[in-house]
Amino acid sequence: MATYIINLAILIGINAILAVTLNFILGYAGIFSLAHAIFFGIGAYTAAVAAMKFGADFAAATAAGMLVSGVISLALALPALRVRGEYFVAASLGLQMLALTVFSEWKSVTGGIGGLIGIPPPRLFGFDVSDPVLFLALTLACLGVILIAIRALVRSSFGRSLKAIRDDETAASALGKNVALLKTLAVMVSSSFAAVAGSLFAFFLSFINVESFVLEVSVQVIAMVIIGGTGTLLGPVIGAAIVLLLPALLTYLPYLPPTEIGSIQQMIYGLAMVLLMIFRPSGLWGYGSSQDRKRAAP
Amino acid sequence: MTGEILFQADNISKTFGGLKAVDNVSFALRAGIITALVGPNGAGKTTLFNAMTGHLVPDRGAVTFLGESILGLPHWKVARLGIGRTFQDLKLFSHMTVLENVTTATESGSWLWQTGGRAAQVERSARIERALDATQLQRRRDTRAVDLSYAERKFLSIARIMASGARLWLLDEPASGLDRSSYDRFLTVLRNEVRAGVTICIIEHNLDIVQSISDRIAFLDQGRLLAEGEPKTILSDPALAAIYFGERAP
Amino acid sequence: MVFLQLFLNGLQLGAIYALTAVGFSLIFGSTKIFHVAHGSAFAISGYIYWWLASQLDVAWPVATLAAVLAAAAFGLLMERFIYRPIQRHEASFFTVFIAAFGVSLVIQNLIGSVAGRGMETVTTPLSRSVEIMDGLFVAPISAISIGVAILVFTALSYFLGRTHVGIAMRALSENPDLVRVFGLDPGRVAQWAFVIGSAVVVPGAIFTAMTAGLNPAIGTHVMLVSLAATIVGGIGSVRGAACGGMLLGLAENLAYWKLDPQWSEAVTFVVLFAFIIFRPSGFFGTPTAAR
Repeated sequence: MATYIINLAILIGINAILAVTLNFILGYAGIFSLAHAIFFGIGAYTAAVAAMKFGADFAAATAAGMLVSGVISLALALPALRVRGEYFVAASLGLQMLALTVFSEWKSVTGGIGGLIGIPPPRLFGFDVSDPVLFLALTLACLGVILIAIRALVRSSFGRSLKAIRDDETAASALGKNVALLKTLAVMVSSSFAAVAGSLFAFFLSFINVESFVLEVSVQVIAMVIIGGTGTLLGPVIGAAIVLLLPALLTYLPYLPPTEIGSIQQMIYGLAMVLLMIFRPSGLWGYGSSQDRKRAAP
Repeated sequence: MTGEILFQADNISKTFGGLKAVDNVSFALRAGIITALVGPNGAGKTTLFNAMTGHLVPDRGAVTFLGESILGLPHWKVARLGIGRTFQDLKLFSHMTVLENVTTATESGSWLWQTGGRAAQVERSARIERALDATQLQRRRDTRAVDLSYAERKFLSIARIMASGARLWLLDEPASGLDRSSYDRFLTVLRNEVRAGVTICIIEHNLDIVQSISDRIAFLDQGRLLAEGEPKTILSDPALAAIYFGERAP
Repeated sequence: MVFLQLFLNGLQLGAIYALTAVGFSLIFGSTKIFHVAHGSAFAISGYIYWWLASQLDVAWPVATLAAVLAAAAFGLLMERFIYRPIQRHEASFFTVFIAAFGVSLVIQNLIGSVAGRGMETVTTPLSRSVEIMDGLFVAPISAISIGVAILVFTALSYFLGRTHVGIAMRALSENPDLVRVFGLDPGRVAQWAFVIGSAVVVPGAIFTAMTAGLNPAIGTHVMLVSLAATIVGGIGSVRGAACGGMLLGLAENLAYWKLDPQWSEAVTFVVLFAFIIFRPSGFFGTPTAAR
């Protein structure tokens, strides 16, 4: 039971990193990406290969993952962010499809559909950190560092510029902001941090395959951000916990065939997304909009 | 300083699907004064603004600022040269506080941090405080833009351009819908800024405002510049008045 | 001969894509709503047809009519109960997108739970290929789908060019104020756009059910194709969306010449990216300011 809880906590931590990094572009810069699972995957594959082929420790493997993920995100963001926001949605959906094909076809690196098996236990500066409690601590430390970094970015002039772009792109550029460049940087930061989650994930399972990086995962991360509340620092962490605890709760419901749980889970957060957008666009834990507050007042 | 030509447009034209929105317009903005762009609806005033700031590229003609051509520059580059503008629909950063709205106007760099170190930081915060003081938004500094009153929003759009440090302000109907007292306050702010060295070009429908504030008037109709000159000359021209109030001159 | 075969297959697929993309483009053009749940209309009508025609043995005209009604009703309900309430308080791209995405998620899983997650096809003699030349196989369904596509486009351009509502719909995409001058209610015009835009996907859905087959995730694929075709054709241009859809269908099939089938979606993406880089305004679009 204790192991189960620790493993669940590690998974929540990894997903919280994904949600927090997606929220950085979605909530603060208003950039919509449907390919977050791909940057998660790039981080995971790169770290796994670095560890298996070159014996890299956790820090080196993660750094490699962040680098590769950042560079590839640049290839997506540079052309797609020069133009309107709708293009980025379409391009990111396209990337999600394309990259998944690459993951499953580039057999010499990714192991194809079968995936990569036998990723060595994680070592950090010479110490073995594969013990579940230690690994949980490592995960939480990564989450903490990323939260602090994002908090600093959001409060900096860079973060203000992103929020300005989110609220009104035309006005932002009329104040001298290079919108395309700022957005590209934001995507790069977000994608490299998402790779940290990938590296943790690869070392945690010691096995990865394409299944963990499909569109449904990208959508699930979006759901975490939306449910937790966009544009808040801790909302996505709460969102990640809720979304991951949901299937665990569903298994306790009687009369529910186990094969349908995944499907019902997706329906629940699909429905949650719709209802939240209609009734409470800032998310369950977000700052209510002024209209919300006025409506709530007697 | 007054009299120096800050901005110049030469023979610019812009056509939208056969409709000539701006037709061979040439005009100059002199430093240190307020020039009003007037004309009936659809005269091409906002299109002209857009052509001046790089929001759209004219089909023909030249646009220069401080003697340098700015034709074809993306509008964020034009903005960095010192041309600021407001919009009819204000385009405030609604989910940001007043302070954040004004602060971000002082930060045009695209890197993860601002360059210039401590001194630049001090200079920026001086600009921020001055803009908040001048527009009397100090006590609302932590309020989000969506929660401001209508007049406060108008002042915030001015505070933003003020903080940006732009030398030339293009204001698109900034005073419309203001009540008498805020409107007087508004004009005082503009006059003070002009005295401090800013040049203003303003689109305005209300001829009373135009009369009381502008030093020069450019009159546009159907995309063409019909007249330019002193306010009293233009406003007393019966032919222009007829066009302005909707009676077509024969 | 392989080339000709792939070209013919490409034409058929392109016709289906074109129909889907045109619906999306029509809705986006006249309402400015980025209707990513458009793929769900495709999935719903395809599955309704499959259920009636293949499970209950209903005659095809009845099944087709039911599919059209289902798609149109879906579009109308989306407009009435999702988009309109959202636009009343916060009409940002973001909120509309998330809500539409949520709907397509629910629909996809609902279909999966009810109809199963496997591939479903409607068997018909029409999809049996005949060798018309040495090594060239053509099924009657190919000719029918291209013919129907041409028919639908003709009807649609008549509608957009000649009828009051159609003209208003085009006007709405250029200038919303014009519609009020016309004396039409923009809300009513938006409803028409949703009804017609959703209904035109039905032929594509039925032909897909008869050939490649349906699965619950087909909506996502259709969504990607519609988005890509709309951008390739130029955002807001119905004619452009049709050409974009055709181009993507052809590209996808011609790629089989050298690539394995699992790369088909990758081809769509490559075409899309080429357009975003080299011609972001698409075939017919007005240039969108590159900043």
